[in-house]
Amino acid sequence: MLEIKDLSVRFQGNKDDALSHINLSFEKGEFVCILGKSGAGKSTFIRCLNGLQKPTTGEVYWNNHSLFDMNEEQLRKIRREMGMIFQHFNLVPRLTVMQNVLTGTFGYRSTFKNLLGLFSAEEINRAKETIEDVGLTDQINRKVELLSGGQKQRVGIARALLQQPKVFLGDEPVSSLDPGTSNHIFNLIQDIHNQHQLLTIINVHDVHLAKRYATRLIALKDGKMIFDGRPEEFDEEKFHVTYHAASNQLDELPVH
Amino acid sequence: MWFKRKNIGTVIVLIILIYISMRLTEFDLSKFKDFRNMIDFLSQWFPMDYSKLPDMIEDSFETLALAFLGSFLGLLIALPISFTAAWNTAPSKWIYHSSRFILSFMRSIPEIVLGLIFLTALSLGPFPAVLAIMFHNIGVLGKLISELIESSDPGPQEAMKAVGAKKGFAYLFSIIPQIWPNVLSHYFYRFEVAIRTSLILGFIGGGGIGQRLFNDFKTFQYSSVSLDVLIIMVMVIAVDLFGSHVRKRII
Repeated sequence: MLEIKDLSVRFQGNKDDALSHINLSFEKGEFVCILGKSGAGKSTFIRCLNGLQKPTTGEVYWNNHSLFDMNEEQLRKIRREMGMIFQHFNLVPRLTVMQNVLTGTFGYRSTFKNLLGLFSAEEINRAKETIEDVGLTDQINRKVELLSGGQKQRVGIARALLQQPKVFLGDEPVSSLDPGTSNHIFNLIQDIHNQHQLLTIINVHDVHLAKRYATRLIALKDGKMIFDGRPEEFDEEKFHVTYHAASNQLDELPVH
Repeated sequence: MWFKRKNIGTVIVLIILIYISMRLTEFDLSKFKDFRNMIDFLSQWFPMDYSKLPDMIEDSFETLALAFLGSFLGLLIALPISFTAAWNTAPSKWIYHSSRFILSFMRSIPEIVLGLIFLTALSLGPFPAVLAIMFHNIGVLGKLISELIESSDPGPQEAMKAVGAKKGFAYLFSIIPQIWPNVLSHYFYRFEVAIRTSLILGFIGGGGIGQRLFNDFKTFQYSSVSLDVLIIMVMVIAVDLFGSHVRKRII
């Protein structure tokens, strides 16, 4: 379904690859969590999957079509099949929950209709149902900046769901939330994943959270893939290799 | 602890600059010896002459209208240009640089010069003043708004790209709600400035209460001048209050 071939990214002015020769393939129904320290290349990787980041070399194939051979219009059509949520939620400020969720349909509608905010009754109903699914019906007409972090991420999830995606991407979606809220959000993502039979790929900082929900774990270190396997195979030693720097280097401690 | 040797140099340079500027501007406090003249002059301003009040009010509305029209048309034209003059939304480098150049060119011409040109070309009256204010404000608001666009949060823009929205539309939709209150705030300030500018433009024939003030002054009708000045002050304060009211409601 989604295939990554020899993917490398090097940012301008850097000597080292942010992402180095990654080969992977994902199938429908997988719940993948990507682990790694800050700066390991998790974000860069996930942003390559929907073409927000262009690789230096390598390819991403979506149902055997190469993302980076496409023109803007074709890429846009792929993106609307991939819902994405973000660490800082990336909601449009000053708009209400309902308005933000409706932006999930933008990929499917004409610019003219989008500008005037002309939504069909079907779209409005679907948005209402989705907002109910994520448990925000009582907040539907509030401006998003008044919501808590967890509620904001629920809006982000609802927006992504309104795209009727086949893939669900998460770029550190719970890294700015407290542990309790993180659990709620992951439960919600898991429900959605199971209900819609998606391919879900999420960056996580927290190993325990990843092990609890993922069906497959991938670990990155300094842009290289150092683990790809079932969660139970990710043992103490793998954990150490992923999170601890070489013995002569002092580094931040991982979040457990 | 607070002062370094370098500061002494700065102070000396400042003192020299102040001295030179005073020489150039013939700054001379001893001229206040004739302060009585000023009091005599100002006493001619009172009592105010209310007989021309209806005409004055009509002229004030003309001033308000031309300041509003000039600054608002300026805003409408500046908005799209500011998106091409912000590095994060410009369609290409070439367009970015040329729109920035156009904006700074428009900004560099003072309204009074534009006014002199238009008033000569299009005959006297408020219409050339509207154009002068509009042109200058395209330059000013275009620059200010493009800076707001450049400092807007890129997150929502990225999210709009991720949902598959078209590129240009994604920019508009994710940026405008973010910058809107600040755009309004800049606009109301420019509107207020436009009122003051239109007074000056009135002096050179641009109509409105400014022209009346100038004529009353030149014909020594000081009891009317005082009322003109009062009306102008009330008008500027009213616009300021209205502006802050609107801003509060939006933010």
